[in-house]
Amino acid sequence: MKTFEENWTAWLDGQLSGRDLSEFEASLLDKAAAEAEKANARKLGALLKSELGAPALTNEEFFSHQLRERIMRESSGPSVEREAKASTWWTIPRLLWTGTASLAVFLIFTVFVIRDKNPAEESQYLTQILNARVDPVVSPNATVSMFEAKQDRVTVLWTEGLQSLPADYAAK
Amino acid sequence: MGRSLAFLIPFVSLIAGAVSGGQAAETVWSGLVIAENVAQPQAVPPELTRIEGSLKKFFGYNQFQVIGQSQKALKTGQEDWLATSKFFGLHVDAQGESKAGYVLNLKLYKEKELLLETDAKLSKRSPLVIKGPQVGSGQLLLVLVIQ
Repeated sequence: MKTFEENWTAWLDGQLSGRDLSEFEASLLDKAAAEAEKANARKLGALLKSELGAPALTNEEFFSHQLRERIMRESSGPSVEREAKASTWWTIPRLLWTGTASLAVFLIFTVFVIRDKNPAEESQYLTQILNARVDPVVSPNATVSMFEAKQDRVTVLWTEGLQSLPADYAAK
Repeated sequence: MGRSLAFLIPFVSLIAGAVSGGQAAETVWSGLVIAENVAQPQAVPPELTRIEGSLKKFFGYNQFQVIGQSQKALKTGQEDWLATSKFFGLHVDAQGESKAGYVLNLKLYKEKELLLETDAKLSKRSPLVIKGPQVGSGQLLLVLVIQ
């Protein structure tokens, strides 16, 4: 059972029909005054609709997106924010793999460079005997050999069987 | 500014050092040495001080006397020179310079008689010692050092 106010509001809005409408209009004491009031209410409604229309948003999607973001941020708290900041490509496993790979490349290059460099360094380091000849007529049994003393970096050409000479040959 | 200077000074020094190092002429000392065992050995000549230990160890003598020597400053790496004593002559013919040192042809003469010939690549850091003939109770050694 609707109250009078409910029926009155519905009648003003034109939402009563049939039996409800006829019963309500019959209950009105001054129907002409009520009709005048109804007309005024409709005029007022039309005026408000035309003057106070909701402003149209030019980019509704953007605003709703911003709003949703803000709500999510505020509701989820600071830990999620930190996680969001920390989520970069450089994760711990990736860092480890990158470090290991770099070290491996460094070692490979080092080994190759040292391998290539060592023979050259060795040859720079010590004097080399390229060849040696002893006059076979003067010293037929002479032999030559060579060795290196790495301690003092001395290279020695060692001859055996050269003709011995008297002490006079030691003169200056 | 300070950081740039700190970088620039060693860099320029390195370049200057490399340039001056490349241009410096090197001196080769060539010596005819008689090694002997004596009761009162004389001091080792300064040119041999660096290799005194090796000389004593390899040849077993306690005295080393220079009987002939030559010092040659190499500029082109194509020079030749002679170190002589009364009876011996060491002819050295430089046949080119490399990063490692000099390629040398060495000929040991006894008067005009060729006793020994060798080709060697003399390193700037490594002396060359050649054992020559026995002379009396001693031994003739040929020594070449880049100073």
